[in-house]
Amino acid sequence: MAASVASVRADLRVVTRVWLFTMKIFLISDFFILTAVVQPVIFASIAFFLFRIGGDAAGEQTLLFAALGTGMMGVWSTTLFGGGGAIAWQRWEGTLELLVGAPRRYDLTLLGQTLGTATFGFYSMIATLAWGVLLFGMPLEANYPLMLPLALLAAVLGLGVMGMLLATTFVLYRHANALSNLLEYPVWIATGMIVPLALLPGWLGPISWVLVPTWGVEAIRGAAIGAEPPWLAIGMNLVLALVYYVLARRILVYVMDKARRDATLSLA
Amino acid sequence: MTTASTPSSPDTPAIEALDLVRTYRTHLGVIRRRSIEVEAVRGISFEVRAGELFGLLGPNGAGKTTTIKMLITLLLPTSGTARVMGFDVVRNTTEVRKRIGYVFGGERGLYDRISGLDNLRFFAELYGVEPAAQTPRIQALLELVGLTGREREKVEGYSRGMRQRLHIARGLLHDPPVLFLDEPSLGLDPVGARELRRTIASLVEAGKTVLMTTHYMFEADALCDRIAVINGGRIVAAGTAADLKSVIANRTIVEIETYGVTPDAVERLRADPDVIAVNAEDQEQSQILLIQSERGTEITQRLIQHLGDTRIGKIAAREPTLEDAYVHLIASTGDADGDAARAAAVA
Repeated sequence: MAASVASVRADLRVVTRVWLFTMKIFLISDFFILTAVVQPVIFASIAFFLFRIGGDAAGEQTLLFAALGTGMMGVWSTTLFGGGGAIAWQRWEGTLELLVGAPRRYDLTLLGQTLGTATFGFYSMIATLAWGVLLFGMPLEANYPLMLPLALLAAVLGLGVMGMLLATTFVLYRHANALSNLLEYPVWIATGMIVPLALLPGWLGPISWVLVPTWGVEAIRGAAIGAEPPWLAIGMNLVLALVYYVLARRILVYVMDKARRDATLSLA
Repeated sequence: MTTASTPSSPDTPAIEALDLVRTYRTHLGVIRRRSIEVEAVRGISFEVRAGELFGLLGPNGAGKTTTIKMLITLLLPTSGTARVMGFDVVRNTTEVRKRIGYVFGGERGLYDRISGLDNLRFFAELYGVEPAAQTPRIQALLELVGLTGREREKVEGYSRGMRQRLHIARGLLHDPPVLFLDEPSLGLDPVGARELRRTIASLVEAGKTVLMTTHYMFEADALCDRIAVINGGRIVAAGTAADLKSVIANRTIVEIETYGVTPDAVERLRADPDVIAVNAEDQEQSQILLIQSERGTEITQRLIQHLGDTRIGKIAAREPTLEDAYVHLIASTGDADGDAARAAAVA
């Protein structure tokens, strides 16, 4: 019992340390700072102007709705390109063999990396909100302020694990970069980041529900401008994160076995 | 060659390989795609005793790196078995990984935009170094590899030698008893390479078992307790440096520096009945001809005649070195079956 507790603590420590390390790496990456901060600010500006031209019927809360949505667009882009490409990046850097060959389980390392990527992605959210407040006079109020940190944490977990699932899947395909580009815009739409889900065709509903960013957006918007506390959205984030993690681990076992068989861990 | 052993047995070899085979499958063509199977390693067996420094020598593509990658659990053997400290590299990967460190030559594998210290802290976590032990361990390793005082600088500003020493520190973080070094001095300047050799020697003195590959014969001669020469995926000779040199102990090497030697002239040298072998090495503006003959045979004048009008620089006769033995072994064993046969079209 004591041994298993110690083992879980050691595993959590690895995930946490890799999480922090990854954030540090991202903080000094010009490419990702541009993706996470500048791009969402541009999207947010477009959204704010569109809402103003449209008469801003729903008032100030609509601005916040748009700001949170465009912030999440940046989070998703970072998750998709940073998290989804994690294994491929490591292969290019020549670190993949070192990480896979380390005594600690590689799935924990990968999880820490994709969680770090998703957390860094939330810079988009901060940048977008700051932009809205400073330039468009958007009020920064939350209907359920105490639930906001919970909603953010649930969204980070969900998106981090989704990044891990994407990384394990993408590494199987040589043209994963093209796949990443293809997935960016559809997820923005299907998860309600740009427009409310209620405005989308009904057949998109089931697809939206199984995509964890849907519930991330829902949880954060619920805490900020919702009429009720977003418990359901937070719960769905956690459930889907667990399902994604189980799937990602299974795929990772297959991928790593295949890589050792086909000699594809390194480019050398 | 390999005896039954248990992981805990004191007489367990540190590294054992038995009939290791590794084939790769690759594809040729775009429209009519053909599947090709390439045999990189073709039945390699050897043992490395605890505390020994064992060298693997061989030309590019001989199978050295493939062998190492199977031993460090990054590649699955196609057939055969291998154990490190008694643990099977296929079935007991975690146990093997706890007991090994490895360093590949070259500049990749580090996080360039952060400091050397941060790199080591990160890998210390992944290598299972206890949190309380991390700082003293890292300080000791920085001292060992001579990076104390430079550890807070970004890795992107490190010289090649510093990066390689950082790699060695990384490989030693969890104090593994067995260390694999794949061409560790690749691309280092002479001073950096000398410092690296000193570090490797000190590791062996400290009781580590080291398996290293290298292209530099003097390095292998100076460091390795035993050497195996690989060619075409097979071990063609094994023993101490003195054992390997004894293969051509009864020979004399005449070294001739030439400028613009023609293939015809080299053929004339080879045709001489007293010449056993001729190897030509291209330098920047000259060529060095290494001509082997039976000891006691005086053929220098004849060799000069064979070279005809070729401009000749220095001429020297000397004892065979490990490099001469290596060249002889590689040339005489060749790749008997040829690369074409190693790459068998299967579809």
